[in-house]
Amino acid sequence: MFDLDVAAIFAQHWLFAATDAELPEPGDYVTVAIGTYSIIIVRDDDGDVRAFHNVCRHRGARILNDERGSVGNIVCGYHKWTYGVDGELRYAESQAPGFDPSCFSLKSVHARTLAGLIFICLADEPPADFADVAARIEPYLAPHRLQQAKVAAQVDLVENGNWKLAMENNRECYHCSGHPELQCSLFPIYGYSESDLPPVLRPAYERYLHADAEARTTYEELGLPYAAIEELDTRPTGFRIQREPLDLAGESFTADGTAACKRLLADFPTARLGRLTLHLQPNSWFHVLADHAICFSAIPIAPDRTLVRTTWLVHQDAVEGVDYDLGTLTKVWTATNDQDATLVARAQLGVGSPAYVPGPYSPTELQVEAFCNWYTMRLREHLWR
Amino acid sequence: MTEMLLTCKQVHTITADVRTFVFEVAGSEQLRFDAGQYLTVTTEPDGIPVTRCYTISSPPTRPRRIAITVKRVPGGLVSNWLHDHLTPGGTLRASGPQGQFSVARHPAPKYLFLSGGSGVTPSMSMTRTLYDLADPADVLFVHSARTPDDIIFRRELDLIAATVPHIRVVHVCEENGPVESWGGYRGRLDLAMLRQIAPDLLEREIFACGPPGYVEAVRLMLPAAGFDMARYHEELFTVPAPAPANSNGGGSFKVELTRSGRTIACDSETAILTAAAQEGITLPASCAQGMCGTCKTTLVAGTVNMRHNGGIRPREIAQNKILLCCSTPLEDVVIDA
Repeated sequence: MFDLDVAAIFAQHWLFAATDAELPEPGDYVTVAIGTYSIIIVRDDDGDVRAFHNVCRHRGARILNDERGSVGNIVCGYHKWTYGVDGELRYAESQAPGFDPSCFSLKSVHARTLAGLIFICLADEPPADFADVAARIEPYLAPHRLQQAKVAAQVDLVENGNWKLAMENNRECYHCSGHPELQCSLFPIYGYSESDLPPVLRPAYERYLHADAEARTTYEELGLPYAAIEELDTRPTGFRIQREPLDLAGESFTADGTAACKRLLADFPTARLGRLTLHLQPNSWFHVLADHAICFSAIPIAPDRTLVRTTWLVHQDAVEGVDYDLGTLTKVWTATNDQDATLVARAQLGVGSPAYVPGPYSPTELQVEAFCNWYTMRLREHLWR
Repeated sequence: MTEMLLTCKQVHTITADVRTFVFEVAGSEQLRFDAGQYLTVTTEPDGIPVTRCYTISSPPTRPRRIAITVKRVPGGLVSNWLHDHLTPGGTLRASGPQGQFSVARHPAPKYLFLSGGSGVTPSMSMTRTLYDLADPADVLFVHSARTPDDIIFRRELDLIAATVPHIRVVHVCEENGPVESWGGYRGRLDLAMLRQIAPDLLEREIFACGPPGYVEAVRLMLPAAGFDMARYHEELFTVPAPAPANSNGGGSFKVELTRSGRTIACDSETAILTAAAQEGITLPASCAQGMCGTCKTTLVAGTVNMRHNGGIRPREIAQNKILLCCSTPLEDVVIDA
């Protein structure tokens, strides 16, 4: 099943792989492992992002063994086959006459950037609907100018659970009472309708209605798109995007809701922009605020282990210790991720029991249902192909 | 080979750092040589004799005078002396002619002349000769320069190409000049570019001359194209021979290798990797063309001239990293190797 997930889901769909900010200069690279695949993502000499399979065309050695770094050319450490950052074989020592280097370029992987986010697709023919999805979410993301951001922090957390449990956990807030830090500033009401709100969330809901009315006025004045678009299971590149208010000061994920970084991501007249939230199938989600952005990806490692990578972006000129305190910036999501890891591990243990029989979803878990629906449909399509 | 005294008759400015020196051979009406051959020139810049080889850039079809064309090289002892001191009326000791790098030795119906920088001189002598003799041979003249302003003999080549249809001239520039932006082939010559320029390259007799990195790149790309290397001829325009042992003034600098615990001599025209190899020191290296980065090391002190091929990034250069295979010393240097 794990191998099928890699083949049918991760090798067939557009995946969020890195941020532009991780590759500021030509020659900068990151490597991404997906199942037994390893992919090099590198900025080329023209400043474009390219992706290649991390496999030497000589005898197949893994070429770049670090998670990230900077190269002049891409050189295999085994026999020094040397590829340009365009993937072309530039040098191979002592080859027979008639050897044609142009036949031995690195195998390329589809790569594209979208408003500061880098996506790759391992399929020969990637889902064609990504261009449409990109065109629809780009106006939401673009005002935050993530291309001009830098990585303030990146944390890899290995959750002891299957990647689908990690994703399902992310796609509902039914469990959000387990996130005290997050609940300071996040209105934990998504998925709820007024009729099924528990009494404990009623005060938050009242504040939400007020904040939402005010936020819409701000968004409209600033020309920021905010309407929810939800197409999570009706297309290959399933997605959901919305801009909505945050609680308290309404600026950021902090204890009092005030901005965690004084230098905003762009020239916004106010920091009180709430959160732009983006969910993408199969494996990523994002919160983009006025002062910083948090990017998440879930990558399967084993049937019961998943890498959850969190990347915090701030404006490239923001100075740590001056404009932001790293501990404050990362506190809420570090705590929330740790809590989620515990919940996912518990779920993995429970569903592994022969006694497990699925119970019904709450109406607030509609995005979990959409995720599962998307997954089963994509799997079915793969198996019929 | 004859010893001769040359008297300078005229100096032509060709580009900002290239000049042609035209000579009369003392005591003889004319000098017999083949287009592409070179002279060994001796000067005494600091009272110590130093020799360098220069291709005769003029054609044997104009036998009453001979010319050499010299690029000023940072730290270049002889080239700088010629540029700074040799004027009409001045003299120079020389011997020659020497060399097999000539169309006279390898006649063919179709030629491809490949040159980089001041390695243009033998191609130019051969092209001028074929042109003067109204030779029907098909000539494709491909020259690589850093910028359009560095193209040597550009106007004369334009004239030749405009006058006879079977001589074609193509220039390749790495970047724009300070004045002229370059609209032609751009970058370093590689096989894909060469195939575009010369789709019929397999039919041609090839002569390549230029800096070591350039010539090595050409030598490696041609077998990949399936070229019969029996019809390939090359010449490095720098002198590979080490300076005389008793001379400390041959443009030679001290290179201290801290990890090897050795200090070697290396002149301003020899890559440090090459100089180390000549002293029996094998350092980690692979392509020797500035591409693979295997010989990357830290320059602890001093400065070098580095002409790499993408094997190192500006950020690394800013951290005092260099590639030994394509770095020549500009002064005494200390290297972490």
